[in-house]
Amino acid sequence: MIKLVVKRVVSMVAILLVLSATIFLLQKLSRTDPVHAYLGANASKAAIARESHILGYDRPLVDQYFHYVKGVLTGNLGNSLRTRRGVATDLGAYLPATVELTLFGLFLAVVLGGLLGLASAGRWRGAAAFRLIMVSGASAPAFLLALLGILLFFNRLHWLPATNDTAYNNAPTGPTGILVVDTLVHGQLAMWIDAWKHLILPGLCVALGPAVSIGRVLRTSLVTTMRSDYVRTARSKGLTERAVLLRHTLRNSLNSALSMTGLQAGLMFAGVVVIETVFAWPGIGLYTDQSIPAADFPAIGGVTLVLGVGYVVINTLVDVLQAVADPRLSLA
Amino acid sequence: MTTVLRRPRGQRAVGEEPDVGSVPGSGPIVSIEDLRVSFVRGDREVNAVRGVSLGIERGEILGLVGESGSGKSVLGLSLLGLLPTSPSPRVSGRACVAGTDMVAADAETRRLVRRRHMGAVFQDPMTSLNPTMRVGRQVAEAAAAAGQDVASLLDSVGIPDARRRMEAYPHELSGGLRQRVMIAMAIAGNPSLVMADEPTTALDVTVQAQILELIRRLCDELGTSFILVTHDLGVAAQVSDRIAVLYGGRLAEVGPATSIFEKGRHPYTAGLLRSRLVLDTDRTRPVLTLPGEPPDPRSHPPGCPFSPRCDHHRDDCDLALPELSGGGGDATAVACLHPVGVDDVTADETAMVAEWPAVPASTGGRDPAVIVHDVHKDFPLRSGPRRTRLQALRGVSLEIERGESVALVGESGCGKSTLLRAVAGLHGVDRGEIEFSRGMSAQMVFQDAGASLTPWLSIGELIGERLRGEGLSRAGRAAKVSDALALVGLPAEVAAARPAQLSGGQRQRVALARATVVPPGVLLCDEPTSALDVSLAATVLNLIGRLRRQLGMAVLFVTHDLAAARIVADRIAVMYLGRIVETGPSDRVCGDPAHPYTRALLAAVPEMGRTGTRIGGEPANPIDPPTGCSFHTRCPDQVPECASRPQVLVTLGVGPGSRTRSEGSEGLDPGIRQVACSRLAPPSEPSPTEPSPTGAAASDGGEI
Amino acid sequence: MAVAEPYVGQPLGRGLATRVRIRQIRVVGRRASTVDLLAVGAFAVVVLVAIVTPAVAPHSPIVPVGIPFMAPGHGGFLLGSDEVGQDILSRVLFGLRSSLAAAGAVIASGVVIGGLIGLVAGAAGGWVDDALMRFTDIFLAMPGPVLAIAVVAALGPSFVHTLIGVSIVWWPFYARIVRAEARALASRPHIEAARLAGVGPLRRAWRHILPGAVPAVLVTASLDVGNLIVTLASLSFLGLGAPAPAPELGAMAARGLQYLLQEWWVPVMPALVVFLVAFLANLAGDGVRDLMGDR
Repeated sequence: MIKLVVKRVVSMVAILLVLSATIFLLQKLSRTDPVHAYLGANASKAAIARESHILGYDRPLVDQYFHYVKGVLTGNLGNSLRTRRGVATDLGAYLPATVELTLFGLFLAVVLGGLLGLASAGRWRGAAAFRLIMVSGASAPAFLLALLGILLFFNRLHWLPATNDTAYNNAPTGPTGILVVDTLVHGQLAMWIDAWKHLILPGLCVALGPAVSIGRVLRTSLVTTMRSDYVRTARSKGLTERAVLLRHTLRNSLNSALSMTGLQAGLMFAGVVVIETVFAWPGIGLYTDQSIPAADFPAIGGVTLVLGVGYVVINTLVDVLQAVADPRLSLA
Repeated sequence: MTTVLRRPRGQRAVGEEPDVGSVPGSGPIVSIEDLRVSFVRGDREVNAVRGVSLGIERGEILGLVGESGSGKSVLGLSLLGLLPTSPSPRVSGRACVAGTDMVAADAETRRLVRRRHMGAVFQDPMTSLNPTMRVGRQVAEAAAAAGQDVASLLDSVGIPDARRRMEAYPHELSGGLRQRVMIAMAIAGNPSLVMADEPTTALDVTVQAQILELIRRLCDELGTSFILVTHDLGVAAQVSDRIAVLYGGRLAEVGPATSIFEKGRHPYTAGLLRSRLVLDTDRTRPVLTLPGEPPDPRSHPPGCPFSPRCDHHRDDCDLALPELSGGGGDATAVACLHPVGVDDVTADETAMVAEWPAVPASTGGRDPAVIVHDVHKDFPLRSGPRRTRLQALRGVSLEIERGESVALVGESGCGKSTLLRAVAGLHGVDRGEIEFSRGMSAQMVFQDAGASLTPWLSIGELIGERLRGEGLSRAGRAAKVSDALALVGLPAEVAAARPAQLSGGQRQRVALARATVVPPGVLLCDEPTSALDVSLAATVLNLIGRLRRQLGMAVLFVTHDLAAARIVADRIAVMYLGRIVETGPSDRVCGDPAHPYTRALLAAVPEMGRTGTRIGGEPANPIDPPTGCSFHTRCPDQVPECASRPQVLVTLGVGPGSRTRSEGSEGLDPGIRQVACSRLAPPSEPSPTEPSPTGAAASDGGEI
Repeated sequence: MAVAEPYVGQPLGRGLATRVRIRQIRVVGRRASTVDLLAVGAFAVVVLVAIVTPAVAPHSPIVPVGIPFMAPGHGGFLLGSDEVGQDILSRVLFGLRSSLAAAGAVIASGVVIGGLIGLVAGAAGGWVDDALMRFTDIFLAMPGPVLAIAVVAALGPSFVHTLIGVSIVWWPFYARIVRAEARALASRPHIEAARLAGVGPLRRAWRHILPGAVPAVLVTASLDVGNLIVTLASLSFLGLGAPAPAPELGAMAARGLQYLLQEWWVPVMPALVVFLVAFLANLAGDGVRDLMGDR
């Protein structure tokens, strides 16, 4: 077990190194010269050369990479060409809102996915309908959901707001940056309810795609497990269907659903970028969307790195959890 | 230890839920009346069970025997009320257990009957146990209602150290222990009936014998009825009180086990008994076989399902389905219009099969086709501590003469397949040598012929591949392929088919044709009959026997079945944990086994009323083989020295006509016997086959 | 726009794929359900429409042809007109065409790159397998869509760069699938039997392993079409596709976002088309999977 954890952590570090190298190389590949862009269009050649030297851009690539990694480890992700602030500072400001949306989305995805999987695996009349719902969900781009959601719940029904994460200008910004927590900490009940109202629609839009993926995997896995020999054994003991499902089927089906959840976390980040754009949600997705037209690669690279680290860490955790769930895996 | 479980017959555990078929102390526990089960696959109806009526008494073991497609498993699942739901079955008739009809009752009632009155044991205990639940909990699920103690249940099915084993996960137990856990689960709650579906098929022969013994004991002690579903008449005969033979979804014959076994009257039963390989089957001529193959469950003939294969067939057999008739007392009930007479059994039929032509004896001097010399082979294991290695071969030497047939016999993990694959060149060896004589090469036939044929290539392409680079024209190749097919008894049209279109027996023939289209010097066979139905296995063995004589090939035949080994091989080498423990002429090894392990293997061959030295335990772990004689941990004759003395082959029965190997000589007389048991070394005569230090140690062993 | 033809995956030669498929159908003995056949048929129609778009589209996709903001069905615009008076129907048809072509291109590159790596790894086994799969795993372990965004952002937004960016994160799935199939096939006795029959390693990989991996790849590829259409549209929505005024479905929805509350059809129509095409592609993918036997 410990060996497995060590192994997973080692491979996680390796993956993170490759990830950072990839982002570094992409930055080099990027057509905009960051120094030139940073100093402005009128900067003299000499000034650019001087600044490049100060930033170490004339040194060998490997040196620059190490410099980059050192910077990353000390929290220096370079400067945004657009906001002219440190990317790390920008991310610090934008990240909490994204964490809030992602966590809520992931929670919804797991709940919905579980329900969809269970409902569509059963042998009942509605199962086929649920399968159709799942195919639809897998086919709907997040922005379509967002558009339709806004049209229906904001424009027509006036139930939910369509932009930003709060309607209050004086909403608290600390201590966590996560609004549904902060408003509660500060005892602002109205703001708290308002924060939830803002969260629901983007959260659902972010969650639906991953929920369908989780549900599909869970369904396949449930159907396979229900045909397995040991479920037949459980039935032969005369256990109730409930006991068969809970003790024998579900647990052995969870593993693949669990790893799908990990994978979906990564796909969800992409959805988050889109959704934040549509809902003007003040997270790193919006930040990215604004950085793209400005060709602000340091900002995009920083976002990629942060999301990448999150993704890799989540999946490492999932791996370890799986080994806990299935004793056979801890041997490997 | 089983006192916990003992109870008066008929009394059941304290009830919980509504009353399901409260069991009076008499009357049959199972009564099946005209049960029919069919499945619709695609637009065709597959008739699995076609009108079976059968009763099972309390406290008896009923052996349900049949080949694949006979409907035996479907019958078992019907009784459990666990027929698969897709494709959805069509069921008619009744299958009552403890008074409840398990095919008509609603799901909840069926569940309660299973809970109260039934238990089940399935074929593969690895997949039949929940991999993520400790076995103790799994047994507890079944035992909880009856308030039984899990540890004593496990104890009663012969699981040593039961309290610790409760905490184990299935993958941490050996195959035999897993099956014992299954049985503990099945008998938990003191059921009236246990359905055991091929409970020993996935197990080693010595373990199979233990499990069968356990089933018999549990039946006697608890009064539980068992249905023993099996393809092996010998297994059924060994423990059953009565046997029901199924063929094509119909009962062919039902009766007391002894009567079926000794004077089975249905031509199918008789044929099965004839084609069974036993230790006294005549090996000088081809084995008697059942011609043809089991019927296709999608299109049964209108009359007797067996009539296309039947040598007693007359015209009226095809008019209507024969019903069971007769029976009572010692007699069996037979569904046949022209049953085999009591006397006319097989006396003249045996004579009809000509003897094998004699294999040209090697001319005095030895002429080995392949020499295996002191071969070692380890496999690194991925799991477990670093550097864990599975020691598959631990010093094996073997010579195969040109044209000679040698069988390697042993249980799983003994290294027999590793040796075969090493000879085939499929993997290298760590130490030692495998030398082919000039012009000798090896081809191999695999256990699962279907899997050894590439599914998307045609038979012609597969066989023709071996002819590449022979400079043959397309037509020349096709001709050679047809010849090879003809040699194994298949029509030339088969060349255009793909493996999936052929039956299991046909696929094994194709595999043989592929191996022999360019005849190799040595034909390697890896359990080529173990995946086949009994009636087909004999046919394949005959085919191998004929091919080797026609083509002058040597054969190295791997099997776990001593009876099959004796039929195909001139010489048998018995392996245990990576070493040969006994070798010698087939008749002598089987007729007069010297090594305790060989004796145990022989005793484990399922047979009517067989008793003998049964050994306990299971083959030791090849990761960490015991010191000294690796068999000493299970040996009934072991003495303390067995754990320390090196295990070496010594020659037995030195006398006129047999020669021992002299130092430095490569050859070894095929008539000679060698045994690796220190207690059997010839008294006072140092064995010449081994280097001096161990020879001295082995020589003071004792009696032969 | 390049060919929109070879995407539903006959990447390994028509004859080979067809033969294997036919075999599968027969062996599994399962008949295609009507739903499966309908879905495959409907998707085929979509593909056909995409191929003949230049001939059937009523207007140019990039030239304003009428009054802006006409509602669907008005002013001769079946799906309405956008903020500059372009015909949304025509733009959507061309967008559909480039979407399908892009999905096809990404799948083709995934099948070729991933298939080659997977086949070599699976057929060779040993250290080759280990090395190639470590390499693949690192790519798999990175968050694909996010990385794709970074790649496209670094290279600069354009249709080709989007294809490159997505292809880079897409091939590992195919490498994994082909490798798993090849590994499973390579450990089957039929490979050993072929070895003993004197078949060399290249021929073994080509004749005895590769055809067995085709069904799995085909199924994955057909299930992937819908997935890719949605992913590519999302990137385009973020401005990572061909620059305006190219008719890209995602970009059209993004630019129309500001008109959502008054002229809803401007952003919603292209988004709906993405959904419809992906939905048909997914149903057809399910159909292909059912036809090939449950995988």
